[in-house]
Amino acid sequence: MKLFFVSDLHGSEICWKKFLNAGAFYKADVVILGGDITGKAMVPIVQHADGTWAASLQDHLDTLETEAEVVEFEKRVMNRGYYPLRVSDEEYRALQADPELVDKRFKEVMVEGTERWIAMAEDKLAGTGIRVVACPANDDMFEIDDLLAGARVVETGDEEHPIDLGDFTMVSMGWTNPTPWHTFREAEEPELARRIERALQAADDPKKTIFNFHAPPYGSRLDTAPALKEDLSYVSGGQALRPVGSTSVREAIKSYQPLLSLHGHIHESKGAVRLGSTLALNPGSSYEEGILQAAIVDIDPRKQKVKNYLLVNG
Amino acid sequence: MAAIPEAPTLFLRKATGLVKGWSKFDAFLYSFMSVNFVTLGLFFSLSVLGFVPDGQVLPALLLSGVFISFMVVTYAGLISVMPRAGGDYVWQSRVLGGGIGFVLAVTGWWFILWYWAPVYANILSVEVLQPLAAVLKLDGLSDFLANDNGLFLVIQVTVVLAGVLVALGMETYAKIQKICFYIGMAALTLMFLIMLFGSRSGFQSAFNQEAVNLFGASGDSYNRTLELAGGSQVVPDLGFTPFLGSTLLLVPFLAFWILYPNWGATLYGEVRGASDFRRVMVGMMQGLWVTIAIAVVFILLAAKFFGWQFFNAANLNYWNTVYQTGEAAIPIWPFPPLLASFYFHNPLLSAIIVLAFGAWFLGWAGTLFLSSTRVIFAAAFDRILPERMADVSEHRHVPVWALILMLVPSLVVGALYAYTDNFATYILDAVLVITVTFFGTAIAAMILPFRKRHLYQNSPIARYKFLGIPLISITGFLTAAFLGYNLWKWFWDDLYAVNNFESKLFLLVMYGLAIGIYVVAWFYRRRQGIDLRRVHEEIPVE
Repeated sequence: MKLFFVSDLHGSEICWKKFLNAGAFYKADVVILGGDITGKAMVPIVQHADGTWAASLQDHLDTLETEAEVVEFEKRVMNRGYYPLRVSDEEYRALQADPELVDKRFKEVMVEGTERWIAMAEDKLAGTGIRVVACPANDDMFEIDDLLAGARVVETGDEEHPIDLGDFTMVSMGWTNPTPWHTFREAEEPELARRIERALQAADDPKKTIFNFHAPPYGSRLDTAPALKEDLSYVSGGQALRPVGSTSVREAIKSYQPLLSLHGHIHESKGAVRLGSTLALNPGSSYEEGILQAAIVDIDPRKQKVKNYLLVNG
Repeated sequence: MAAIPEAPTLFLRKATGLVKGWSKFDAFLYSFMSVNFVTLGLFFSLSVLGFVPDGQVLPALLLSGVFISFMVVTYAGLISVMPRAGGDYVWQSRVLGGGIGFVLAVTGWWFILWYWAPVYANILSVEVLQPLAAVLKLDGLSDFLANDNGLFLVIQVTVVLAGVLVALGMETYAKIQKICFYIGMAALTLMFLIMLFGSRSGFQSAFNQEAVNLFGASGDSYNRTLELAGGSQVVPDLGFTPFLGSTLLLVPFLAFWILYPNWGATLYGEVRGASDFRRVMVGMMQGLWVTIAIAVVFILLAAKFFGWQFFNAANLNYWNTVYQTGEAAIPIWPFPPLLASFYFHNPLLSAIIVLAFGAWFLGWAGTLFLSSTRVIFAAAFDRILPERMADVSEHRHVPVWALILMLVPSLVVGALYAYTDNFATYILDAVLVITVTFFGTAIAAMILPFRKRHLYQNSPIARYKFLGIPLISITGFLTAAFLGYNLWKWFWDDLYAVNNFESKLFLLVMYGLAIGIYVVAWFYRRRQGIDLRRVHEEIPVE
C-alpha cells in the first residue's frame, strides 16, 4: 500500500490541485492531508467608484480594470493560500474598523473555499480508486469539520473517528500543544495526552496502526522552529532554533510504537526520524511558493513494515 | 466617499507561523560577518596585493563589489521564490536536477569545508595566537606555533571549537556573534584612530624598536622590509589607473574574502512580500558595501600610517616565506592591528588589542560546520545519504553523525595541510569550489523563469523585468559571467597557485567522491524501489 502524505496547505489552491493529482502521479493508493487546510489571510480587492479595482499582493499595488484582470489576480491570490475578497470602499473600511466583521468574513470565505476544494476532489477522484483523506488541524476553524464529514469522496477523521485503510488503521488528532498564536485547536499537554488515549482506543495492534497527529513529537528534529520574541519577531534573526513539538505525542509514539507516525505543523522542519521502531515523518510545507512537499510511504501489508519512504518536493 | 488613498492591506487571522520578518540589523550582521574584513580580508585578500605589481586595489574592490551586488540580487530573488532551508542545494536540485544539485552542494557546502578548517586554524594562529605569543614574549610558544606540530594542534583545537559551537546550537552562538561584533568594531575603531592620528615616522620608529624587542631583529627593519620585497615600489601608489588591465588580476584574490554576503541565504519569514525580497537584499548589500567601505578606509589609513609600499612589502615578504621563495624582517605575519599597537610600546595594550580583534575570529568561526550539517541533513532526507546521518542525540539534540562527517575528514585534511609542503598553498581552492557551487546557482537563477514558470510567476520578483527579460535572469547571467571569470583565472593562471597537478587532483577527488556517492545512492535506492529522480519532480497542476 502506498500513502502520499502532505500537511499544512493553508489554502494554497495550486498545492491542492497538485495534491489531487499526486495519487495518479506517484501511483499512491491513498492521499492524505494531515491538517491546516485553510488559509491565513484575506486579500481585499476594492472596487472604486469608477469601476476599477485596487488590490495589493506581495507589497505591490495593482489597479485592475477588467473582469479578466480581477479573475487572474484572484487566481494568484488563491495560489498563495490567501482568500480574495471583492469589496466596495465602504465594505473595506467597515472591515478595517471591525475585527468581528473580519472574523465573520473569514468564516464565510473558508467555508466557501473548503466547499470548492471538496467539489474539486469529487470531480477529480470519484471513481478512480484513489482514496483522499483530509483532517482538520489547529489552524482550521471548527466550521469546516462538518463539511469534511459530509463529503462523499473526501474522508476525514479525528480522535473519535479512526480511518480504516484496509490492512491498517489511521488514528488522527489535529490538536497541538499551545502556540504563540492561540489557534483553534490547542491544548495543554495533559489534555493532549487524554485525547491521544481516546484515539488509541480504536487501535489494538501497533503494527497495524498509523498515527496522523498534526503536532510533531517534541525534540525529534521534526519540530525545530525559529525562536520568537513576545512581539513575534525572530530571536537572533531566525538563527536561534528550538524544539516546539508535543511531549505527549512523543510519549505516545515511544510507548505505543505504531508502524508509522505522520506529522506536520512545523513547516520548516522537514525530516524523517526513527523513534524506537516507529518511522516518524514531517514533509514540511512550502505552500506559499506552490511547492507541494510530501512524504511517499510504501508499506508492505503482509510483513506489516514500511518498505521505503521518500520526501518529495512536488 | 473618496477612494481609499493607500494600497489595501490584507486581513490576517490568528494562525501559526505569522511572524515578523528579519530585522534589518540581523540581515546585515549575518552578511557582514560572512565577508569578514579581519579574518578573510586582512589575512589574505589585502595581503597578497604585491603579487600583482601593476594592479590597483581600489578599482578591483569596486568592480568586485558591483558584480557581487548582482549576485546578491540573484540570491535575494531565489530566496523569495524558494525560501525554504537548503539554499543552493534546493535551488539547483529543483531547476538543474537532483544529481547536479547534490554534487555542487556537497562539494561547496560540505567537502571543501574540510579544507576551510585548517584555513580557519591558520587564521587563528596568525591573527591571535602568534601575535599574543610575540607580545608576551612566550618564545617557546612562538616556536611551537611556527612548526608543523603547532599548526596541527591549532587545527585540532579549531575543529573541536567549531564542533562544540554546532553542538551548543545557533541560538547560543548567535548571542556570541553579536557580542563579538561590538567588541570587534570597537577594536577596529581604535586601530583606525591610531592610524589616523599617528604619524608614519612614529610608526617606523616603533616598528624598528619592537622588531628588536620582540623578534630579536637588528637595524632598520622598516627599510629592510622594503629591500627584501625588491625595493621601494612594490605596488603602484594608490590610484585608479589601470582601472582594468592588471587590476582585474586582483579580483580572484579579493573573491576569497568578499564573495559570501549571501551566506545566510536560507532564512525567511512567512507571508512574505516584495518588502522581504528588498529587506534580505538590502541586508546583504549593506554587509557587502559596509565591508568594502571599511576596507577603503583601512587602505587609505594604511597608506598614511604604515606607508603603502611598506604595508605591501611586509605582506609580500610573509607570503614569500610561506612559499619558501624569500625571507622577512619579522618571523610572523604583519597583522595590522599588532603593527598599529606597536605605536604605544606597551605589550599589555598590544595583547588587549590582539585579543579584542580575536572577536572577529570567534564571531565567524562558529559557522564553519553549520551549513555543512544542514546539507548533510538535506541529503539524508532526500535518501542520498543513509537516514542515520541526520540523527541527533536524544537529550542535547547534537547532530552526531553529521559532525563526525565533518570533523574526521577535517582532521585528515588538516594533517595534510600541516605536514605536507604544498597543501597549504592551495588556499584559493577553498573559494574555487564554493564559486563552482555559486556558479551552478547563478545558472539555475538564469533559467528559473523559463524552467519553473509556475514557481516564478507565483513569487514577488515576477514583476521585476528589464526590457521584458526577468531581472533574475539578467543578474544571474552577470553573476555567472563574474564567477566564470574567476574560475577561468584560477584554473589557467599560475598566479593563483591552484592550477597545478596536486591542486587539481585534490579537486578531482572531491568532485569524484560526490559523484560516486550519488551514483551509489542512485543504484542502491533503485534496488529498494526508490527513484531519486522523483524527489524534485513537479506534480502537474491541471
